[in-house]
Amino acid sequence: MKLIIEQLLNGLTIGSFYSLIAMGYSMVYGVMKLINFAHGDFFTFGSYMGYTLLVMGITFITSTLGVWGGMIAAMLIAAISSGVLGLTVERIAYRPIYPAGRLPAVVSALGASIFIQNAIMIIWGPRPHAYTSDVIPGFILNIAGFRINILQIIILLLSFLLMGILYYIVQKTTFGAAIRASALDRETAALMGININLIIFFIFALGPALGGVAGVMVGMYYRKISFIMGWNFGLKAFTATILGGIGNIPGAMVGGLILGVLEMLGSTYLSTAYKDVFVFLVLILVLLFRPTGILGEKIAEKV
Amino acid sequence: MNRIKFILIVVMVLGVCFSFNVFAQQPPVVIGLQGPLTGAEAIEGEMAKQSVETAARMVNERGGVLGGRMIKIELVDDACQPKAGALAAMKLVSMKEVVAAIATYGSSVTQPASDIYEKFKKVNIAYGATVTHLSERGLKYFFRTCGRTDTQGIFFADQVVPHFKAKRVAIMHDNTSFALGLAEEARNAALAAGNIDVVYFDAITPGESDYTVPLTKLREKNPEVFYFTGYFPEAGLIIRQAREIGINAVFVGGDAAINEDFIRIAGLEYAAGCYMTQEALIEYFTNPEAMEFKAKYQEAYGSLPSSPWPVYAADALMVLAEAIDKSGSTNSDVLVNYLKHEMKEFPSITGHIGFDEKGDRVGTGINLYVVNPDGSYSIVKI
Repeated sequence: MKLIIEQLLNGLTIGSFYSLIAMGYSMVYGVMKLINFAHGDFFTFGSYMGYTLLVMGITFITSTLGVWGGMIAAMLIAAISSGVLGLTVERIAYRPIYPAGRLPAVVSALGASIFIQNAIMIIWGPRPHAYTSDVIPGFILNIAGFRINILQIIILLLSFLLMGILYYIVQKTTFGAAIRASALDRETAALMGININLIIFFIFALGPALGGVAGVMVGMYYRKISFIMGWNFGLKAFTATILGGIGNIPGAMVGGLILGVLEMLGSTYLSTAYKDVFVFLVLILVLLFRPTGILGEKIAEKV
Repeated sequence: MNRIKFILIVVMVLGVCFSFNVFAQQPPVVIGLQGPLTGAEAIEGEMAKQSVETAARMVNERGGVLGGRMIKIELVDDACQPKAGALAAMKLVSMKEVVAAIATYGSSVTQPASDIYEKFKKVNIAYGATVTHLSERGLKYFFRTCGRTDTQGIFFADQVVPHFKAKRVAIMHDNTSFALGLAEEARNAALAAGNIDVVYFDAITPGESDYTVPLTKLREKNPEVFYFTGYFPEAGLIIRQAREIGINAVFVGGDAAINEDFIRIAGLEYAAGCYMTQEALIEYFTNPEAMEFKAKYQEAYGSLPSSPWPVYAADALMVLAEAIDKSGSTNSDVLVNYLKHEMKEFPSITGHIGFDEKGDRVGTGINLYVVNPDGSYSIVKI
């Protein structure tokens, strides 16, 4: 019982990282119909920017703002810098290619991913970096035999808060309705007077920004960051997007959390080596019965 | 005036002749050093050269060998390539005055080179070639001052585990050939020891971030000593996650697990008190031979060798000098006999050295190190 609860908590934490990254994937795919393979690297970039602020500027940031203020400042910086990077990449690598169709844009996204990854390696060096414990202290609580990492709880709450805000924006506001409308049909949405360029600006700033925040959280939680980690997390987040229903933002949240929990349960009760097999088996089963994903909407065939 | 000049010249010539005469009576003992002086591993060759020269200075300042003969080093370059290594060995054996060779750094280079030394009956001592089978080929003249790949695993099972008075051992690796090899050697040695239970033996996938699941499984086995044979990025995550889920076993890392990056990733609060099995890190040796070596090396080159292998080359020179001096001969067969049968616990730079029948070092340069609360290391006396 203790094992299940511990692993559920761990699974939810990993899942919330996946969710945050997956939402960016899903938003971009929804509006642009583009699988943004560079998205995982926005996440890495945010993590490194947070690291730079916290670990390299430690005396200044942590002493003026305190430990918690430092963490929040790091997340803000990560969100802003990843957002700016996302907009830049959209402008340089995607926008000139849109007229050529969807496939060249995917290739361009892969290219952008390789470029960012290597740029990070050159700037910060190939060795892994660490969010040191003087900026991120460890908090372990012992409650009734359970060892609970306070950081884990904070990360969970914070990511649920972010997801909630995004959910509210997308589902309840006029602007959100505009985003959903653009996702359904860009041309018609434009004809209805929706400023598509503003929508694109918004999704390419917000998606990477969420990824960047997740990057700082991963750094806080695991301590170790490396320039290649975006690939692994990005791939899992992409899987989560498909599991939840690509293009559907609440779907991405649910998909990420389910994926995290599945991964943990799979490796606990089956085998660590086969956990991905288990995850993808579930993905295949879901897609067999619901080809559009768990929360995916029915796409009307265009006649 | 001319006469005075003439007399001066005569005196000088006589002086030169006389001094030459002195040296002629005491020719130097020439020892070959084969190493990668060029190529990708050139730094190792350079440090090996400096280390061996430092060791030669130590011997010479004590009065040399065989009643006052100085040690002289003859360098040959093998570029850490098997082909160049064979040529380098040919060059050394073709020089009549070279009595023995310190050869060499790379395992794949040592293999052909040692065959040539064997054929020409020259004692050759490897200082970086750790591949196990090198000494399993029945060679008579082959020795090594570095350990074998399996020495570390044996050291862990035979010395580290008893040091912690432990019975239950968990071994974790990452399926890379190095880590798996070390883990298997450690397990085999532990099983051979008889009184040690290997309660956990499994692999993790390197490059991931979350190892709580394998660690939870490990926790259920309740080990007393936890040996991780993989690399530092995972080691840092693992020690942190292990301690956070309540694993209190003594953590011991293999020689790739613990370095300054490990300490940064784990955080000092978890890194302090971790142990590692590690080849000779000369910086932390305090025996008189090592202290003298360090002082002389630093005086000449300003820093210390950054890897253990050059120091093993210096060990090889100390061993050869001792063997030549004590056996009173430079004959290869006499030296082999002395090294294999009479040299026991010779105090050298990286500790006591002796050789078994296969030419492998008895008494290893490997030590148990502990991470101090300030992030430095020190050797644990076992």
